[in-house]
Amino acid sequence: MIEVKNVTKKYGRKKVLQGVSFTANKGEITCLIGVNGVGKTTILNGIMNLTPMTSGEILIDGEKLTKESYEKIAFIPDAITMLPHMKIAEAIQFMKDFYNSWNDERAEELLGFFRLKKEERISSLSKGNVAKVNLLLGLALDVDYLLMDEPFSGIDIFSREQIADVFTSHLVEDRGVVITTHEINDIEHLIDKVVLLDDGTIVREFHTEEMREMEGKSVVDVMREVYRG
Amino acid sequence: MNYIKLLNFELSRFIKIYFVLIIITIISQLISTYSVAKNYMNQFNLAVYRDGISIEKYVEQFGQVSLMDLQHSGWFNLPIVIAAVTLLLYCFFIWYRDWLGKNTFIYRLLMLPTARINIYLSKATAIFLMVLGLVALQVILLLIEGKIFKWMVPANLRHDYSIMEYLANTVGDLYLGVLIPMNFIQFLIHYGIGFMFVFVLFTSILFERCFKWKGIIFGVVYALVSMSIFFIPFILEIIFAKRYLYPMELFVVEIVLGLIVTAMSIWIAHYLLNRKITV
Amino acid sequence: MKITFNKRDPVYVQVMQHFKEQIASGKYEPGQEIPSRRELANQLKINPNTAQRAYKEMEEAGLIFTEGNNPSRITKDEQVLRNLRTELIGEAVDTFIAAVKPVNIPMDDLIRLIKEKYEKQKGEHS
Repeated sequence: MIEVKNVTKKYGRKKVLQGVSFTANKGEITCLIGVNGVGKTTILNGIMNLTPMTSGEILIDGEKLTKESYEKIAFIPDAITMLPHMKIAEAIQFMKDFYNSWNDERAEELLGFFRLKKEERISSLSKGNVAKVNLLLGLALDVDYLLMDEPFSGIDIFSREQIADVFTSHLVEDRGVVITTHEINDIEHLIDKVVLLDDGTIVREFHTEEMREMEGKSVVDVMREVYRG
Repeated sequence: MNYIKLLNFELSRFIKIYFVLIIITIISQLISTYSVAKNYMNQFNLAVYRDGISIEKYVEQFGQVSLMDLQHSGWFNLPIVIAAVTLLLYCFFIWYRDWLGKNTFIYRLLMLPTARINIYLSKATAIFLMVLGLVALQVILLLIEGKIFKWMVPANLRHDYSIMEYLANTVGDLYLGVLIPMNFIQFLIHYGIGFMFVFVLFTSILFERCFKWKGIIFGVVYALVSMSIFFIPFILEIIFAKRYLYPMELFVVEIVLGLIVTAMSIWIAHYLLNRKITV
Repeated sequence: MKITFNKRDPVYVQVMQHFKEQIASGKYEPGQEIPSRRELANQLKINPNTAQRAYKEMEEAGLIFTEGNNPSRITKDEQVLRNLRTELIGEAVDTFIAAVKPVNIPMDDLIRLIKEKYEKQKGEHS
């Protein structure tokens, strides 16, 4: 379980996050939703210790993040984090060199699934294919938790469909997944849990099926209540 | 192990520019050597065969040609300056390139399952190895340049230096004298101080990366504090206009202070990378 | 398999409804093997936990059964199948009545109309 406890983040005097608390469970897909610029990415960066939080605590399976944690929790940012001149094969080799949790078989499977060619340079790929390589580099790690920042934004519809397929496949099975998005429509049926952010705070946290069953509301209905006031 | 992998990676990221530097140095210095020897021989031929001056008289008047003459050649010194400036700029760029663009590689580096200080140490080592590599190249080039003189200039018109002799004569020289000191201790001092400065610079850069605008001030203050610590014996001597230490004592104190400054830089970098760094 | 989901009913309920219809109409035969929960999630583009929930509920309702580690199958229980048909027809008739009620048509006319239309549509389909 990923526990975010009372986390606050200030940039100078500007508060980006104010007492944010939520949990994301293993075996579930948790979706951080909010209109742009509400600190979704900051939360993921905070979980991965890529930027210091002003206060609060973040625990992964009850422990603070250490260097060993990066074998257990992977983050897929919204842009690929490999050097543009690298070939896909070189990017894969880089991951293989550093991570014990790298799973070569799965990497091969993903290459086939996304129809990517190893010899191509990242700089020569289409946006959609870059997004797929980016995803591959995270998904091929045998980690318990996967964080993804806006995996569906800025790419063509067919790439989106392919990426959505990943979520219903064994590639994600039994892992704890946290994704951020500002566009819920396509993936409403894919996610287990929703955490709604507004103005740096969490306004709602619920399971989607429970929300439908108990209140007969879709995720968009709840968002409408929250953001339209 | 991860440190070695990172080092290898850092080296490979600069290798193209580094090869260009090597090639520029080789070509430029060989041209320099050739033209110095050629000019000397042209002048010699003119003087002896046209003006009828005797060889002994010519040598007496104009001297023999030797590797020393290279030091006044622009083509010889220019690549040294270019390489030094490039590596100095790369000390900054080796960090800032990781934050550049949308594909910020720093995400990848910080999320590696390894102590983050390895990133810092591998970058520093990459700089050191590249500096030492160019110095080694210079030594080899000097040997080759000596050979070129032997081919082009008759023995009675040239003075052959061994490398050690040569270096003994370049002690005061701005470029070579600093780059290739005469003895091993001197070598350790030059490069020890140089590498200490690299560590201080790296830590100052990290201050900027952690705290942005405020970080620039922190970084500059840190660099000044480090320098003050290192130069404290000299500062005291100036203030009180009195020598407190014998040269040997001063030497030992400086080594200790240099190690302190280096250790402090690494420790602070370790703290910043783990607690304060931001992508 | 393709289901158009609405967004306000629980997805597992919609999946169950789909299975009930397929079973009642005979498209799924008794004893027929059905996809694993993973395959189902993938085919329908739904969350695997939701597919799991649908299967669990159907298993409890006796609509499907699992023996050991084998894939799940559609029930062979005649009683369950009969009940299912009755249930679905009942639901359909309820919906129908609710829709026709406001029109206030005499019962005899209604039954005649149903007979006519039903025969006609059957004829068109066969």
